[in-house]
Amino acid sequence: MTAPPLAHRLTVDLALARLTFRRRVAYRVNWLFTVVIGGGGMLASLALWRHLLDGGAAMGGYDWDAMRAYLVLGFITMTVAVGGADFDIADRILDGMVAIDLTKPVDFQRARAAEYIGSILATVPGAAFSVALAALLVGLPGPASPLAGALTAVSVLLSLPLSFCLTFLSVLTCFWVKRYLGVMWAREAVTMFFSGMLVPLALFPDPLRALAWSLPFAHFTGTPTGIYLGRFDLPAALGLLAAQAAWVVALWWLARLLWSRAITTVTVHGG
Amino acid sequence: MADTIARDRSLTARHVGGVYGRALVAQIRAITEYPADFWVMASAGVMWNLLQFAFLTVLFATVPDVAGWSYHEMLLLSGLLSVAAGSTALLCDGVWSTGQMVLKGEIDYRMTRPAPVVVQVATTHIGMQGFGEVAFGLVMAVYGWIGAGLGLAAAPVGVLALVCAVVIECALVTAFCAVNFWIKGPMSNFAFMLIDLQNSAMTMPLGLFPSGVRIVTMFVVPVAFVNFVPVAVLTGHLSGWWLVGTPLAALAALLAAVGVFRLGLRSYDSAGH
Repeated sequence: MTAPPLAHRLTVDLALARLTFRRRVAYRVNWLFTVVIGGGGMLASLALWRHLLDGGAAMGGYDWDAMRAYLVLGFITMTVAVGGADFDIADRILDGMVAIDLTKPVDFQRARAAEYIGSILATVPGAAFSVALAALLVGLPGPASPLAGALTAVSVLLSLPLSFCLTFLSVLTCFWVKRYLGVMWAREAVTMFFSGMLVPLALFPDPLRALAWSLPFAHFTGTPTGIYLGRFDLPAALGLLAAQAAWVVALWWLARLLWSRAITTVTVHGG
Repeated sequence: MADTIARDRSLTARHVGGVYGRALVAQIRAITEYPADFWVMASAGVMWNLLQFAFLTVLFATVPDVAGWSYHEMLLLSGLLSVAAGSTALLCDGVWSTGQMVLKGEIDYRMTRPAPVVVQVATTHIGMQGFGEVAFGLVMAVYGWIGAGLGLAAAPVGVLALVCAVVIECALVTAFCAVNFWIKGPMSNFAFMLIDLQNSAMTMPLGLFPSGVRIVTMFVVPVAFVNFVPVAVLTGHLSGWWLVGTPLAALAALLAAVGVFRLGLRSYDSAGH
């Protein structure tokens, strides 16, 4: 069987992304509530750090200006990192719908990636509203330079496929553990910690910071915020972006490998 | 109809308690059939608390206090919240399914059974992460208690705070999940946001926030009485009189939860209408 033409595959991707987006916003009031309230945690963090860094104090090289940029950017990338419709994928595996997917002439991983992007797009209004609110309340410092701003945008965009790959890998464990919630929490906890969202990586002890930078999670917050704040010169910034892209490629193919093993264990309702 | 059943005088407290207890025991039996699942979930519950512990430890390696609160006092704050949140997972985790049940019409047959619907919904499953949350929350709370210099003399206040915290948390989660009777959706986003905001804001001293936040968290949605008020009283940040508000908040939250759920059942019209 020959692969469908690229235009056809893109049409399928777009249709799946659009469907997931619509499904996510189908319950409008519910969705609007998350749009309005979703940034509450970020505002609480801003209140904490404003108090701690009041009067020109600095911690780990972050003064109030740098910290609020860090927190707002981190909020955006964390929305991408943990805001996707991972349960939709997990449920397909857990309730056996994956068996139907195997009969479809669509690549499972690519189709789920398209749906994931659609679900993330549904979080954009909420993120935009929260960032606007934060900018209104505490102000948002600009990037160190226009180039730093552009490279930050590249890093934020790269965090989308990176997030999907990590999520997809964690979802594939459903083939063996039969339940996703615990795995999801574990992934989110590890992501929050090693990305530096909970505590900036600069405040980590040296060995822990080295470990964090050797993992993909640091690219969710450490890389974009570091570039935005001008903490890295151009070669270092490009190197980090290359590392982020390399993680995407490596994890994508690792997921393919795991998927090829996982489908040999498919059981539907115990059969 | 559900309202009629809920008010049926033949449903004594003993009967309702028996139904609740047996349903929970059945869930615990089910858990023992999947030990790996239990350990994954319990570990996940511990992990989030471990992160909060790490956050406070790293933070206080750099600063001596946060708005006048010491490291151990803030551990007590986080620990009590964690125990309360974990208890909801153990005692009434099923309420998180309210939205799904309303959408699918699964409340129907629960309305025909001789037990309050809210009890049946609450006991449809147990959140096994609660075991980890409660265990590690207690560790944080006890460590913070000892570190903050609180002795055994304050233990009765601590027990009262703990009981009220569990009641308030269970009641608020139930009430917020019941919002899905009117605002339909598969996810209990309202309750989820409540928990999220509690984890973000109520693990910090309220003095960090504008007065509007303090008023809302104390008198509108009384989450401050889950952990902040009792810990502030115990550690001398608030006058002892504030402690009177804790059982009152628990009672108010409980009545609100029962009332909201009953109103929700009245407006429930099954699936497809």
